[in-house]
Amino acid sequence: MTTTQQLVPLRGVKQSPLEELFTSGHRTCQGCESALVMKLMIKAAGPRTIVLGSTGCMYVANTTYYSTPWVVPWMHTQLGSSGSAALGTAAGLKALMRKAKMKDEPINVIAFCGDGGGADMGLSAISAALTHNEYNLLILLYDNESYANTDIQVSGSSPWGANSTFSPPGTLHRIMNRRWKKNTAGMLAAGHPQARYIATGCASYATDMMNKVRKALTIGGPTFMHTLDPCPKGWDYDPMYSHELGVLAVQTGIWVQYEVEDGKITLNGPSKVLARGKKRLPVEEYLKRQGRFAHFTPEDVAYFQSQIDEMWEKWWIPGVVPPGPQDP
Amino acid sequence: MTTETRVGPLETEELISGSEAIARACALADVDVITAYPIRPYDTVMQFVSKLIANGELTCEYIVAESEHSQFEIVKHASAVGARVFTGSSGVGWFYAFEALAVTCGLRLPMVAMVGNRALDDPGAFGCEHNDALAVRDLGWLLNWAATAQDCIDTAFLAWRVAEDPRVFLPCAISTDGAFLTHSQQIVKVPDRSLVDKFLPPYDRGKFQLHPDNPITIAPQVNEDWLMEIRRQTDAAMRRARDVIIEAHQEFVDIFGRGGDPFLEEYMTDDADVVLIGMGTLALPLKVTVRRMREKGHKVGFIRVKWFRPFPGPELLELLPRFKAVGVIDRDYSLGSPLNGGVLFNEVRSIMYSAPERVPIIGFVAGLGGREITIPSTRQMFEITQKAADEGGTDQELHWIGVRE
Amino acid sequence: MATYAVEVVYRGIFQKSLSRNICRSIVLASRLEGKIGTAFGRYGDSPERNGIPAKYFAVVAGDPVELEEYLAQYEPTEVDVSIVVDDTLCKGVESWAWYGLQPINALTKPDGAVLVTSYQEPEQLKEDIHVKDQPYDLAILKGSKSFSGLWVYKDDHTDVRILGALARICPDMVGLDSYKEAILQQWGDQRKVTSAERAFERVRRSPVEPGEGNPAEPFSFDLPGWEVMEEALVIPGIEPGGGFRGGEGGFEPVRSSVFKKFSTRTMRPVVNFETCTKCTLCWLQCPDSCFDVTPDGLYDANMEACCGCGVCEDVCPVPDCITMVGEEAFSDNDSQHDHWRRDRDDYMGWLRDKIALGKSETRSHGFHHVGQYDEESQTVEVGYDD
Repeated sequence: MTTTQQLVPLRGVKQSPLEELFTSGHRTCQGCESALVMKLMIKAAGPRTIVLGSTGCMYVANTTYYSTPWVVPWMHTQLGSSGSAALGTAAGLKALMRKAKMKDEPINVIAFCGDGGGADMGLSAISAALTHNEYNLLILLYDNESYANTDIQVSGSSPWGANSTFSPPGTLHRIMNRRWKKNTAGMLAAGHPQARYIATGCASYATDMMNKVRKALTIGGPTFMHTLDPCPKGWDYDPMYSHELGVLAVQTGIWVQYEVEDGKITLNGPSKVLARGKKRLPVEEYLKRQGRFAHFTPEDVAYFQSQIDEMWEKWWIPGVVPPGPQDP
Repeated sequence: MTTETRVGPLETEELISGSEAIARACALADVDVITAYPIRPYDTVMQFVSKLIANGELTCEYIVAESEHSQFEIVKHASAVGARVFTGSSGVGWFYAFEALAVTCGLRLPMVAMVGNRALDDPGAFGCEHNDALAVRDLGWLLNWAATAQDCIDTAFLAWRVAEDPRVFLPCAISTDGAFLTHSQQIVKVPDRSLVDKFLPPYDRGKFQLHPDNPITIAPQVNEDWLMEIRRQTDAAMRRARDVIIEAHQEFVDIFGRGGDPFLEEYMTDDADVVLIGMGTLALPLKVTVRRMREKGHKVGFIRVKWFRPFPGPELLELLPRFKAVGVIDRDYSLGSPLNGGVLFNEVRSIMYSAPERVPIIGFVAGLGGREITIPSTRQMFEITQKAADEGGTDQELHWIGVRE
Repeated sequence: MATYAVEVVYRGIFQKSLSRNICRSIVLASRLEGKIGTAFGRYGDSPERNGIPAKYFAVVAGDPVELEEYLAQYEPTEVDVSIVVDDTLCKGVESWAWYGLQPINALTKPDGAVLVTSYQEPEQLKEDIHVKDQPYDLAILKGSKSFSGLWVYKDDHTDVRILGALARICPDMVGLDSYKEAILQQWGDQRKVTSAERAFERVRRSPVEPGEGNPAEPFSFDLPGWEVMEEALVIPGIEPGGGFRGGEGGFEPVRSSVFKKFSTRTMRPVVNFETCTKCTLCWLQCPDSCFDVTPDGLYDANMEACCGCGVCEDVCPVPDCITMVGEEAFSDNDSQHDHWRRDRDDYMGWLRDKIALGKSETRSHGFHHVGQYDEESQTVEVGYDD
């Protein structure tokens, strides 16, 4: 069986590979954190990688015909197809290599999807891919919390109450999105015993994110990553604060950084410190920076805070595993 | 159970169904990636494929997908890295994959799919109708219809050969009538691997192969500045497919010693006054009826359309004007279309507009939902067509045959 | 009457509501004069990307038949007035929907007008605006770039001030009184009417002669035919990069040869190489991979790739090491690091000058905190331009 590339962990920012494999030619928004995720993802993975991109911002804005930012081979796949694209590419390579129709070497296969493609439409294909432990592949869900490409419509991964073109606050209904954000990585971790590695990340913590990509690719097997990407377009803030908002999402405890390696769950980085009792920043610090929450009343902020508090105080593992039966 | 009789060093005779014939073709063509998902009646092919794999007679990556959409997306991506692929579906399953069916053409990715023709839901029905496969007729799929189990295995080799030709690079669907081909066993000549190797070169994706040694970007988003040119390219590929099919058929005949004409199978048409045209297994009752009517002195014949895309327009245009009337049998419907006829009927009428003389053309919708196209019903169709020939035309150009009034 | 068309060239998302307000108001006001019109965003520019140039159009005709005649070509190929709501767009427009740099006056009719909100003088703007072989007017309405958020509208009256200025420079399309009435109907705010009136008084126009302006040949791109285009939707990837300036050490990515980010910026980073601690953060956190890495570990922002987001300034831990400066302060896209290596003292002088210029007005845009726009609107003086 084809082995994987051995990508050693980067010890600090100074060890970040200089090589850029995602350069210019993309037409994403100013301050696009998802573009940064792409850059870091491929910087971590290196040149012997095939990237499959499902429909979304990182397709439409990144690769507009005749220009591409990709140095590595890249191919579009359909909105719900990140799982199938990863599976098909990995299976094709494996078949050709084992039949000696292609040089046998470890080639990284990464398929990415947005929250619409991953947490909504493509969930079943991702789930299927994560049951195939005979293939080495990584599926990366870049989550900017809306269908930002198509004009910012609410997705199953949008936060409660957020303004979007499908959930605009109005005179009768202030809160149009009454759904709480899906726990996508946690759900996939719980449901796929053969997934070798599942992690969350955030480009604001670049080395951590790159190391998670490297660990996933080194471990091989079906792996999954979910990043939270501040989106100046859909979240409505000055683009220069993309990095800060990523940090705030983690430090308020709204976004939890963790990895699940062969079933073992570890909170890491600032999330680990929060779990040990460090005081979380109030969610208001994060919410009030974004136009998508500008219609929130103090009660809305308090509700949001209470849900985050419950996640940290009552869940078995904050952000990953919900509460179990109460102790007798 | 299969009975094998060795009739020569380079082929064996076996009693197998159309589905099994195609499964055997997968092994002989050394297919690299196969995806399966259950739906009747096509899924019989995957039951044979999985058995061949389990017994070591076929080596490939075999993935049971979680939906038809994924089934087709997986092989699409495997094809992009250079793998020979096979998949298939039926009825609404084929429709569930529709998005993938559309994009594969634009991507110019060769793929061979078996469509076990099946009626579309609702209501759920397992029987044969051609509307499933025909739904992709405008998109760039190569479409053909098999008539026998022998056809199934032969057409499969042709399908990979044509689809993977760099002048074409388009997906190809082999339509097999549900039940009649998928579930019934016939004596089939299964060729030796050496013959297949001679006919079918390895798939070479060339400069379009997605691989770190060839860092290309495939299918970036386009706007109105680009798409017409791209459609024109796919159109050119479909036009080139005609010549590639003719070339491949000729070579097939040379190597395997069977196959006939590339686009049309003619049966007793030489001196015929009236002919019926159709696709798939209805050839069987038609041929019987032609023989019986000929015995009684009726000059009738039958034409089976083998390739629907590319459409054999030039062949039909050359052939049909010499008849006094033509009947077209559709195992499909196209509701609200011109004359409320079927798809094949309207296509034949369309090409015949270019004919110097107008031949009366009658449409028959028959055999829907797997209902048998019987010998009496085919005789009825000939009679209606003969009447139009005798009278030089007709008031009623479209008939539903075999429907309870 | 004649049919009139105007375009608003704006920064995607940030100024979407602003440009829509302008174009809708033109049509609504024209209706008060018994005319008829239509307003629409350029479909090819959507979905918009924030900061990336986009266009909105308004067309006004005397009657429905006239309007239909005009709209037979859906997207206007020439306009009476090109409205520019961010003066850095005077350097040209490269939408995400097309290739090549379109001069800001490309659609302006002979003897039409380019109307810009700006604090720059005509001579300064003409350094940016490409030459045209027909005369037109350059009209300037003093004002800042009116960047608003998407979900929250920053009402600094720029919308109605544009209408007042339009009444002055294109009076036959719609007159001031109709604009005033349309403003009251839409917003019921007398202060906005006053702002429009003052803009009517204060807009300044000066003639631009053929051949006057920026002589540079705009970056262009020829669309290939279908037989020349590669098949199977394949385009070549970007070539791998290598050492800084082709030498040993450092790293310089290869940049796209067909899409440059020259017109996507309203500001750009200037770097103090003397105080840089080589912490890597600007380079690592840049979503546009715009920093070339020098052999000695400094980071040189490459203006072919920078879209001016400002993340680098935000993440830089050294005070004033990276400063975002308004794009109007620059007339070239040259390497700052090359300049610094060539003549450190000259570079440091240049840097101080640019920072002084850049800090003279609000450098960044968009929504910072809940209530911000309300606070700012309290400080908006009616017709605040001078």
